[in-house]
Amino acid sequence: MTDNTAQGFTVPIGPQHPALKEPGHFQFTVDGEIVTRAYVRLGYAHRGIEKAAEARSWTQNLYLLERVCGICSHIHALAYSLAVEQLAGVEAPPRAQAIRVLVAELERIHSHFLWMGVSAHEAGFDTLFMYSWRDRETVMDLLEGLTGNRVNYSANLLGGVKFDLQAAQADSIRRGLDFLEQRTRHYLDVVSNDAMFLQRTRGIGVMTRAQAEVMGAVGPTARASNVGRDLRVEAPYAAYRDFPVRMALDERGDLEARFEVRIRELFESFRLIRQILDDLPPGELGVRLPRRIPAGEAVVRLEAPRGEVYYFVKSNGGDRPERLKVRTPTICNLTSVVRLAVGHQLADVPMILAGIDPCFSCNDRLVQLYQEETGEGRSMSWKDLRQYGIDFYARRQA
Amino acid sequence: MNTEEILNLASEVVRAWDWTSQVERPRPGQLDVYISSLAELVPVVVGLRVKRLGYLAAIVGLDLGPAVDALEVLYHFCPGDALIALRVRLPRRDAVLPSLCEVIPSAEVFERELAEMFGIQITGLHTPERLYLPDDWPDGVYPLRKDFDPGLLNTREGEPRS
Repeated sequence: MTDNTAQGFTVPIGPQHPALKEPGHFQFTVDGEIVTRAYVRLGYAHRGIEKAAEARSWTQNLYLLERVCGICSHIHALAYSLAVEQLAGVEAPPRAQAIRVLVAELERIHSHFLWMGVSAHEAGFDTLFMYSWRDRETVMDLLEGLTGNRVNYSANLLGGVKFDLQAAQADSIRRGLDFLEQRTRHYLDVVSNDAMFLQRTRGIGVMTRAQAEVMGAVGPTARASNVGRDLRVEAPYAAYRDFPVRMALDERGDLEARFEVRIRELFESFRLIRQILDDLPPGELGVRLPRRIPAGEAVVRLEAPRGEVYYFVKSNGGDRPERLKVRTPTICNLTSVVRLAVGHQLADVPMILAGIDPCFSCNDRLVQLYQEETGEGRSMSWKDLRQYGIDFYARRQA
Repeated sequence: MNTEEILNLASEVVRAWDWTSQVERPRPGQLDVYISSLAELVPVVVGLRVKRLGYLAAIVGLDLGPAVDALEVLYHFCPGDALIALRVRLPRRDAVLPSLCEVIPSAEVFERELAEMFGIQITGLHTPERLYLPDDWPDGVYPLRKDFDPGLLNTREGEPRS
């Protein structure tokens, strides 16, 4: 048996057990309990949507792209609609833009509640998980009442939105928000005061401002490290110019800060939705697009619940896009946060991963041991493994 | 800095580092830089980074098709609400690009994507392995190229892809 102390062991995590979405494979090289190297392999959910978009018409793609993500589906359809409208040289009317923002903010609430549950679950705090998912049903019902769907709301059209907002719907949204706001106040109290929970979040996975900037973190992950990157504020799109948002920032950069920033964003979303319901501009719900989309390139960047979504659409004047590129926030945050895992306890890794909201729950580990240099897999009986552990630490102590 | 100041600064940076590249303003809020030679790419990016204009939103590959026989790579830097697009043209055969990883670590995922989707060889990449495509994906087949044949994937599970 070769001496493995020099290289350490690689612990594979995933891709088989991610509970919610985006299966991914990680390899963490550990020295005892401390992570010394991290590696990511993605692509298990790669469906070739960018290529598929090149073979579909401008209208068909609206439905395809709404299905890029099951959680933030609206923001993808919105980004695509805005890009096509930019290419066509038209702008959706103010009422349509306000309804788009309304749905986007309801989606943010649903996504943040979902994330809160998932990361509480990773921390072993299943009570918070159950409660936040129960409360998430409220916002799901509001979305269903408004759009007819719990997910893939299909609110957008190229040039506008599909439905108007009725007075009765506005009232039920207000009632739902009152309930959610009261619950959110309680959750803010829990995540910032519960001593057991703080042990899993305070000072864990710290990302400094400089690191966040260099590694290109986006969204709440960046804002928790005091990087003022929120496109609703920086580059207001749709109706955010008329309904401005205050950015939630935090200086600490640890998991606790990521929790607090997201929860403070929830309050901001509640306020914004109420304001939109009160001051919804009158007028049309859509404009007609020209029959042909002129040749050109459009870049649209929007603030999804997890951070910046980037769309690039190129038209060559035909009936379908020449090229479409989607960049989601998770890829930016994942690469930065995986680097952060180095130096942490292996047991903190699931929380660090969940802290950026990629919705992972790959807590399974140590199925097979890989020898790092050769890549050879080999199995060890529990007895051998235990003896190896004892020898490992004995050698280190000596 | 407002958008106009950002773009003026970026334009100065580009001219200072590389006076042979062409600079254009296709629409308000956007600056297009046509990089004249590959050797200038990394210095220009360093220049942008030094001036804190180096938030890389994405790297987009474009296949202009067998007729034009060229690939185009767009580096989109997005400080604030401005858009700075560095545009690089490459031949479709033997396309090679220098990696930006040393300057901007987050470029790695985009570059690995370029490599596997467009067949652009990236020099200086720390982990040149595949990022998205499956392990048994055939070598030399680049799905985002215009002449990619999707019929290639019509194999049953367990059968090797030809």
